[in-house]
Amino acid sequence: MKKVEKHVADGYFRARIIATVIYLFFWFIVSYGVVLFAEPLSNYTINGIPFHYFMGAQGSVLTFILLLFVNAIVSDKIDQKYGIDEKQNEAISAGHTVDH
Amino acid sequence: MDIQFLVSLALIGLTFGLYIWIAIYNKAKATSDFYVAGRGVPPVFNGMAIGADWMSAASFIGMAGTIMILGYDGLAYIMGWSGGYLLLTFLLAPQLRKYGRYTVPEFIGDRYKSDTARLIAAVATIIISFTYSIGQLSGSGVVIGRLLEVDAAVGTLIGVVLIAFYSAFGGMKGITWTQVAQYIILIIAYLIPVIFMALQLTQNPLPWISYGEIISELGELDRELGISEYLVPFTEATKWQFLALMFTLMAGTAGLPHVIVRFYTVSTMKAARWSGAWALLFIGLLYLSAPAYAAFSRFILMTKVAGSAINDLPAWTTAWVDTGRLSVADKNGDGVLQWAEIVISKDIVVMATPEIANLGIFVIGLMAAGAMAAALSTAGGLMIAISAALSHDIYFRTINPNASEKKRLAVGRWSIVIATVIAGLTALNPPGAITQIVAWAFALASGSFFPALLLGVWWKRANGPGAIAGMVVGLTVTLGYIFAAKYGGFTILGIIDTGAGVFGAASAILANVIVSLATKAPSQEIQDEIVDLRYPEQMTYKDGEVWMNE
Repeated sequence: MKKVEKHVADGYFRARIIATVIYLFFWFIVSYGVVLFAEPLSNYTINGIPFHYFMGAQGSVLTFILLLFVNAIVSDKIDQKYGIDEKQNEAISAGHTVDH
Repeated sequence: MDIQFLVSLALIGLTFGLYIWIAIYNKAKATSDFYVAGRGVPPVFNGMAIGADWMSAASFIGMAGTIMILGYDGLAYIMGWSGGYLLLTFLLAPQLRKYGRYTVPEFIGDRYKSDTARLIAAVATIIISFTYSIGQLSGSGVVIGRLLEVDAAVGTLIGVVLIAFYSAFGGMKGITWTQVAQYIILIIAYLIPVIFMALQLTQNPLPWISYGEIISELGELDRELGISEYLVPFTEATKWQFLALMFTLMAGTAGLPHVIVRFYTVSTMKAARWSGAWALLFIGLLYLSAPAYAAFSRFILMTKVAGSAINDLPAWTTAWVDTGRLSVADKNGDGVLQWAEIVISKDIVVMATPEIANLGIFVIGLMAAGAMAAALSTAGGLMIAISAALSHDIYFRTINPNASEKKRLAVGRWSIVIATVIAGLTALNPPGAITQIVAWAFALASGSFFPALLLGVWWKRANGPGAIAGMVVGLTVTLGYIFAAKYGGFTILGIIDTGAGVFGAASAILANVIVSLATKAPSQEIQDEIVDLRYPEQMTYKDGEVWMNE
């Protein structure tokens, strides 16, 4: 066990939180945001589909999938930067788990 | 006995054999196998299992039809049921995985140090999962019944025996791998017909791209007929109802126990994040196709069926009229069927597609196997959630904490068998109330589990009394609003019963915060455990310091 400096530990958490807030911002815009302004947005079309309908049927789902993969990749990069080793995680997790 | 019957029977029999073989091969030997599949499922496969767990008979058969009938307003379901995975994967799943328990009620009980909170959560899990599973079982009965030409009751019983056998035998471990197989079968069965329909209508094999032109043509047709319901937003309900429903579905998705427990089956927080990403990719394949199904079917009905002479309708319409799911009546007596004279049940859009597009007997059989896979996989996941709440949270954690591993496995197996049989018998003749509760499952989950989990993971000051108050108030407000809206005519901003989760979640969070602040803070040990969830497994938080395991 090695002690992690407080600013390093806080930095890890802050990086993860900032990323999450950014993802949830886009999550909100493509779903709730588009619905809120559905009427004016319906004047634009994508691929022959009015914009609000396109976002509901395809755009939002594609954005969601993209955000989840970006989160998985960026989180791995943050872990890497802070020297986290997934093999260690697996070993610790298997021991730490309450398997009663 | 015709060829169609034999082909459908062969395909269904083949897939059933596959599920049983997988269950026997993956027999659960320890409680960790039985409840969390030994916690070693690779993320890609867990993603497929989540997809099959998630997509029910209702999604497979009914989602495209819902969108076709509601038009834009039906898209709240697509966005709600997919957007919930972001809340789940960003805010709950990895943290719950690090906390490392067997069930959702167990997390709530241990996190809030409260047996009462665990029991409330266990009972809520059982009620929500039980009613939800009845819909699956009666759905599978309808499919088996129609395609094997036996009574729907016999169909339901076949489904019950199969689920009881393979989930009791393999536990979560068996269910995981059968769900992977079921996902592959259901997605192939869903995509083949829509791809062929796209080829026939647009000469483009990619329905996701080509249905745009069909949508524009639908807009033209609507304008000619002087109707505008398909693309124009908020024709069925207010904008606020759309938003409230979407929120309720998202928060409910993030709080449903049978979905969360799938994230317990992977090894680490990282694996939980990847599971969430793969899961929505696999679910998205179906969700992105459903609006294409809807557009194609509506286009065919508007151009090939409407406008035909009433005595000269396409042959496939007769079979569906006989089932009562399609009604064509020449109301104005002019000998021609108008669009306004067609009444369609949402269930026929997907199931009738192979006949509409003339895809032949193999595809019809495949559709049946796919619909069965969707019903069985969801029912299996629900049964293990019920069994875990009964045998782990109630029996082991409350009644008999000294039970041996062998005894607990036996109790787990028997509780699955009994729950499946009771659900199956109820599904033979479901009371009307059940269908209603299924429609409210998401509102109930977003008013109870979602706030308790969210605050439990992210706010260390939340305590036992706060969690109990939150769940009780959340459930009361949700149910109160549902009944006031449904039967009392009381609504706020036009939000009806299905959007009640937004009020439930808000009041639950408020109650949890107020009561927690008014009562004693949780012990330092628990608060440290919560801060610890911010970091990966290799880092440990203790007494204000973070330690790295090397």
